[in-house]
Amino acid sequence: MFRSEALLGVPIQFRGSIQRETLDNMVSASRSANFEQLALPLLPSLYNHAFWLTRNHAEAEDLVQETFSKALRAFDSFQADTNFKGWIFRILRNTFFTSRSGIAASRTVFLEDHPHALDTTDTSPTPEDNLIRLDNQAALQTALEQLEPPLREALLLCDVEEVKYKDIALILDIPIGTVMSRISRARRALRQLLQPQLGESQ
Amino acid sequence: MTQAIEHLNPDTLSAFIDGELPDGEQEAIQQHLTGCPACALSVLSATKLKAATARAGRRFAPPPETLARLTAQLHREPRGNARIHSIRRVAWASLAAVMVLAVSLIGWRQLHETNTLAAELLDQHLATLSSAATPQVISTDRHTVKPWFQGRLPFSFNLPDAKALPPDTTLKGADLTYLKGQPAALLLFTIHKHEVSVFLTQRFGGPSITALPGTRSGFTIHSATTQDLSIVAVSDVNPADLDALVATLVQAQSPS
Repeated sequence: MFRSEALLGVPIQFRGSIQRETLDNMVSASRSANFEQLALPLLPSLYNHAFWLTRNHAEAEDLVQETFSKALRAFDSFQADTNFKGWIFRILRNTFFTSRSGIAASRTVFLEDHPHALDTTDTSPTPEDNLIRLDNQAALQTALEQLEPPLREALLLCDVEEVKYKDIALILDIPIGTVMSRISRARRALRQLLQPQLGESQ
Repeated sequence: MTQAIEHLNPDTLSAFIDGELPDGEQEAIQQHLTGCPACALSVLSATKLKAATARAGRRFAPPPETLARLTAQLHREPRGNARIHSIRRVAWASLAAVMVLAVSLIGWRQLHETNTLAAELLDQHLATLSSAATPQVISTDRHTVKPWFQGRLPFSFNLPDAKALPPDTTLKGADLTYLKGQPAALLLFTIHKHEVSVFLTQRFGGPSITALPGTRSGFTIHSATTQDLSIVAVSDVNPADLDALVATLVQAQSPS
């Protein structure tokens, strides 16, 4: 915005000589302004997601900050018709996995189709019970924290960030079928984790 | 698969409430639900879980300071990084400057933030080098540069005539910037091919420059004050030349 006014303060006779540069500046300025416009509304979401990844305020801030820097540098490669949110979340995530805590986190092996998780889940406790215990926010938060990180990540992108499966697939760099099964597994795991609390409260 | 929909399996149910099934399938399930209370309840329950997850998952809001810093970053970042692409102006950063930058950045990051203003000054100076950036005003003419700041800064300053500048010192352009949140004029000079950043701020209300170190990470930082202005110059040029430039700028402020 500001930059595009750059010509206004310059006397006419100088405009010719600097116009080329100024035009380039204006293009990059409008890109930057564009970036700011796209990124600013996502700040709370990116921070929230960064916190879920890092579990730490200082690290979450650093992560978002680095994400902005990287994203802005790579903004030229961003195609206007693609999903900006998906694009920047992918950068956030890749940045996390090159950070120290990210590398540590990625050492944990995650089995895509954990038979244990598949078998034990049965959605059969009576649906009425489900409705009651889901009102317990504290219990749900604890359960979310206990989820395996890859499951939680997919679920948060879906439920909190409302990202479509195909974009989650791009962010997490996994096939869309895996996205679908991770989200489904995450939900079953949540129900299971909520179960004991139900027992206690009854 | 029209009529024969079984009870929903968990994966399908999950994708259904996310609206991720193909249209035909989505409709077929809807139909099934009208006739199957058990599945309808499961869908209701799953929808509730989804809503509750959305609430529970959105719990870490950035503290106000963090929000302010990150917003400021988005605001400020364009001047440094966005223009990395303009290779056209490579002349702005010689290879030597890039090497100095790389080495000093490493060293500089390890330093404790003893003086954040010095860090900010150096940071901004490095940004002018590293991005091969073109300033907002590109002109060697003080009559172009000075008027550009009108209405952009809450203060005014004088620029010396090109002939009054020390030998081999050239005004390259100018930018508007912020130091410690205060608007500042950033003047870009070269002295013997060394890049020099000169920051002009209001003396009162602007950042205090009294405690600035004379050097930082191999860069010389020289400052001076006039009646109304604080002037700080940052460069890797030899200190005597930098002093000469600062002195000329100070002199230009006093009415002759």
